[in-house]
Amino acid sequence: MNAFIDFIMGPMVWVAFLIFILGLIFKMVLIIKDINARESYVYSYLTWKHSLRSIFAWMTPFLPQSTKQSPVFYSISYIFHLLLFIVPIFLMSHIVLINEAFQVSWVALDDGLADILTVIVILALVFFAIRRHMVPEVKYLTSYKDYLLLIIVALPFITGFLAYHQFFFYKAMVIAHVISGEIMLILIPFSRFSHMIVAPLTRAYMGSEFGNVRHAKDW
Amino acid sequence: MANEIETKDEPTIVKEKNTDKAVEAGLARLTPQRIKSTINQVLQKETGPRFKAYVETCMHCGLCAEACLYFLSNDRDPAYSPAGKVKQTIWEMLEKKGEVSTDFLRRAVHIAQTECNVCKRCSMYCPFGIDVAYLMLMVRRICHKLEITPLYIQDTVNSHSATMNQMWVKEDEWIDTLQWQEEDAREEFENLRIPLDKMGADVMYSVIAPEPKFQAGLLYQAATIMHAAGVNWTMPSSPGWDNSNMAMFTGDNEISGRIARAFYETAARLKVKRIVMGECGHAFRSTYDVGNRWIGWAMPPFEVVHALEFYHELLTSGRITIAEKFKKTVTLHDPCNVSRGRGLHDMAREVTNMMCESFIEMTPNREHNFCCGAGGGVINCGPPYKGERMINNKVKAEQLKATGAEVLIAPCHNCHSGLEDIVHHYDLNMEVKFLGDLIYETMEKKIYKPGD
Amino acid sequence: MEENKSFDWSTDLKEVSVREWEDRFVWVEEPYVSPDGETIASIVNIEEGVFTVCENGETWDKEYDKAWNLRPLPDGKFAACVSSDEEWTLSISGNEWENWFDFIWNLQVNKDGSSIGLAVQKDMEYGMAVNDKPWDKMYDNINEMVLSNTGISAAVVQVLPMAQADIEIFKQGIFSCAVNGKPIEKKFLNIWDISFDSTDKNVAYGVRLDRVNYSIAVNDAVWDKKFQSVWKPVFLSGENSVVAPVKEGGKWVLYKDGQPFWKNQYNQIWKIAISQKSGNIAAIASDKFGKWTIAENDMVWNMTADQMISEFVYSKDGSTLVAVLKDKGFWTLAVNQKKWNLAADKVFNPCVSSDGKIVSVVIEKQGQYFLAVNNIVIPNGYDFMATPVISPDNTKILQKAVKDGVYQRLILSMDKIL
Ligand code: HEM
Ligand code: HEM
Ligand code: SF4
Ligand code: SF4
Ligand code: SF4
Repeated sequence: MNAFIDFIMGPMVWVAFLIFILGLIFKMVLIIKDINARESYVYSYLTWKHSLRSIFAWMTPFLPQSTKQSPVFYSISYIFHLLLFIVPIFLMSHIVLINEAFQVSWVALDDGLADILTVIVILALVFFAIRRHMVPEVKYLTSYKDYLLLIIVALPFITGFLAYHQFFFYKAMVIAHVISGEIMLILIPFSRFSHMIVAPLTRAYMGSEFGNVRHAKDW
Repeated sequence: MANEIETKDEPTIVKEKNTDKAVEAGLARLTPQRIKSTINQVLQKETGPRFKAYVETCMHCGLCAEACLYFLSNDRDPAYSPAGKVKQTIWEMLEKKGEVSTDFLRRAVHIAQTECNVCKRCSMYCPFGIDVAYLMLMVRRICHKLEITPLYIQDTVNSHSATMNQMWVKEDEWIDTLQWQEEDAREEFENLRIPLDKMGADVMYSVIAPEPKFQAGLLYQAATIMHAAGVNWTMPSSPGWDNSNMAMFTGDNEISGRIARAFYETAARLKVKRIVMGECGHAFRSTYDVGNRWIGWAMPPFEVVHALEFYHELLTSGRITIAEKFKKTVTLHDPCNVSRGRGLHDMAREVTNMMCESFIEMTPNREHNFCCGAGGGVINCGPPYKGERMINNKVKAEQLKATGAEVLIAPCHNCHSGLEDIVHHYDLNMEVKFLGDLIYETMEKKIYKPGD
Repeated sequence: MEENKSFDWSTDLKEVSVREWEDRFVWVEEPYVSPDGETIASIVNIEEGVFTVCENGETWDKEYDKAWNLRPLPDGKFAACVSSDEEWTLSISGNEWENWFDFIWNLQVNKDGSSIGLAVQKDMEYGMAVNDKPWDKMYDNINEMVLSNTGISAAVVQVLPMAQADIEIFKQGIFSCAVNGKPIEKKFLNIWDISFDSTDKNVAYGVRLDRVNYSIAVNDAVWDKKFQSVWKPVFLSGENSVVAPVKEGGKWVLYKDGQPFWKNQYNQIWKIAISQKSGNIAAIASDKFGKWTIAENDMVWNMTADQMISEFVYSKDGSTLVAVLKDKGFWTLAVNQKKWNLAADKVFNPCVSSDGKIVSVVIEKQGQYFLAVNNIVIPNGYDFMATPVISPDNTKILQKAVKDGVYQRLILSMDKIL
């Protein structure tokens, strides 16, 4: 048992991060290779200017018309995505672990605040799930896989939260937390979470088609 | 929150779905083997990373729904939402690896050809910029290869392939019509000409086939505007005069490219500097954005100027002057193919304001306009689908009504016809006009002389 | 260019004043100039609904209700499509054909001028007429008319009636290629781009076999292979062999007699030119999306144009290939891989000496016409210019130009230009 714990807390963390990062790089390389081989015409239209213009427009809260029309959803989504990165990166317990391994550290979130943020992330995911169930046009598109994705993101937050508060089975919780965190990281490049790198590409292409060819905005 | 999380019963599709004899005859000929191999050939061989990104990245968030006139007009029925249409077509084809039934295909062709205007509004509402129109065109491509494209639009493609125009206009009919309009217009301007095949003219003027077929008066108007503005222009007597392209809307890319080639080769043969086209949105899209690409022109080899941009130029340069502004209240429909498709919406407003006394905005507008519901080849699928088309664009009717304007300007042929149908169906009591109609009505009928 | 020998190469300047035409007539249409440069002509309007042609100030004897499609003929005369009492015929310097039609168009003249062809419509039936002789058989519709060098006419004709929007009959094929009015048996969904061989005995054309399959037909035989698309087939010089650009597996390749010919695949192979002399085959092609170039015997030129290569011609001896192209918004020429440094708004048809040493072309820049010779633009601007002629000994150029209402036939000496 201890060997197992050592493994998932040790080498497996490495493996998960490597798969996460290399997987994304690998995916990016594959996409670019595929574009060169099959759709190289896109380069005739892509421009940095229009790509970035579109990406930044869509990163600006409430600039795109779509965000104005669904303000609640977009607000929650923006917050969710921000916290998805901020919470784990600036979490004291995470920084401590990293510090032990690499002797580096950075500012940490106050634990109480981190706790609240964690709850916000979990609530955001609950909101997404309810929305999936309640809003007809979303429900129509939803299959069990979409809920699964939500659960995969939710688990590290839920288990981390439970472990932190040491409500029950602390040890088991930490193990569950680490495993779920690793699963999520590993899955990012190979699931629809890969939108993390594909989104900027599709946005850049649409932004360029609109900006460069159509002389129109795409937001 | 309220309008977002709004409980609704599971949607049911009650509306009658029409079909036509070309679709049915085509479906009857299909074998499972042909269906499977065709679908897989198109989806595997003719797509690339773009397609892959669009199907693999879609987070099923439903945000695109808000964009689509079909969704909004059908009481927010999700089956009409952009991603909903992808689900009913592409996703299922992929999931079943091409092994789909003819009933599935009947629905698929109906969705792709008559329930989407490929207007790309949804790409502006999807946070990833997923191009649902592209995916619908891919479905149309499959239907084209399976030969289940709706009858009337297929006939226009057949006409394109044989005559290089959309309406089986014979070569002599075309020239004869121009000469006849030229003669008529001489009642107004004594020396007016429609110069045919004038090598080295500055402008080649091109139109869509319905003009010589049904609306020859528009050729007359264009000729008077050109003449009064003192433009050095010409029209081709040979095929290549029609700038429309229905093949682009049935997925017949080979014919679509051939049409674009004939068009630009005609301009090259006449050694013109640029091409001006009548008020047509999809023709602009074909020549400016789509047909050219199949040939290998990243951008069109000639400058193509949509009528509304050209009018803007004539009015701002003083080549055409307005005698008396138009009095009635007008509103403007932004044709997607020249607003969202070319960013000409502000020019359209300037032109309108130069000619009309009272202009009322319709909302949403500019890039965010709603399509007329006729575009993308939908109206060209013909009478069997007209009833549905009216229901499918209720939002446009509401939008029009809210303006309270007496006259509706639609600087696009398709929009014009589509909106006329809507105006009648919903009893809106509006007059639908082209910009050219208004210029013709309000301009000073004198010939421009440089330095005036 | 042997026929040029008889031109007057010794008189430096001949002038015709065209300014006063404007006063004599209600309006004067765009001018055309005879190949030898001796005559300038325009369709002119005399009064409401009365037209004729004015050649060097002399009007034709006849007047017509309508006239269009004025063309110079190799012998120095002019032809135009004319109409009286709602009927149409061809008039050559006022002499009409005997046959009158309900409509005529697509005036074509062969190289030596011995044959003049037209597309004709009478009683809603369609065909062609060559030298006043209409086809024996007429059809429901006609497209893609061509006239060969020896005066053979061919076109795509509709051989079966089709009711409105009848896509089932269309699917069976309603078009055939008719040569001198006689249809070749086979019917197709579509036929395009008819080519003759050098003897005019054989024709080749692109066909569509069904919704998605295309091929090439030579006379009544279709190549075995089917393609995703095809462009115009061309006969190799002095052979029965046919080459054609075809699309296969998403790429364009050059095929010969139904077999792959060139090794390389292209994004586009647009059209083919063949040097009769050297047998070289050139193609306007695209190697990289959005960039045009020329492939000669499957070798790509070291030159690209980002907008269009519209035309290209070999010199008679095959040594020189001249292409008209548009790059970065302006038109120019490329001669044997080298782009000229013109930046013209328009470039007209180039004239190439038989040995390929001289290339001359009319260009337009900011509304003025100029003559360019071997990459040198002669600075005099004109209001109009017709295609120049190079003397058989390469020492002179015949320039045909209009300035300030005067037509000038000017003999330029090559020494002075270069
Ligand atoms: C992959 C290896 C990971 C390791 C080794 C790890 C380790 C830890 C540890 C030791 C704790 C502290 C538990 C306690 O306070 O006793 C913790 C908490 C937490 N972790 Fe992780 N974690 C990992 C991945 C992740 C990921 C991927 C996420 C989220 C995306 C995440 C989110 C959290 C959260 C939200 C908390 C609780 C914070 C709170 O409620 O205050 N962790 N983690
Ligand atoms: C910086 C990179 C990322 C960007 C730009 C991004 C962007 C988006 C966008 C545009 C959406 C669509 C709708 C919405 O706005 O919510 C979305 C949805 C979503 N994203 Fe991301 N994302 C990123 C990273 C991630 C990561 C790393 C994850 C999880 C591991 C993730 C999980 C999700 C989930 C679960 C949804 C769906 C929400 C729902 O069910 O409606 N995202 N993301
Ligand atoms: S392209 Fe237009 S019509 Fe089609 S799904 Fe998108 S918004 Fe609707
Ligand atoms: S908005 Fe985009 S990601 Fe969301 S469902 Fe529609 S297409 Fe998919
Ligand atoms: S018809 Fe008009 S509104 Fe409709 S798609 Fe075309 S341009 Fe758009």
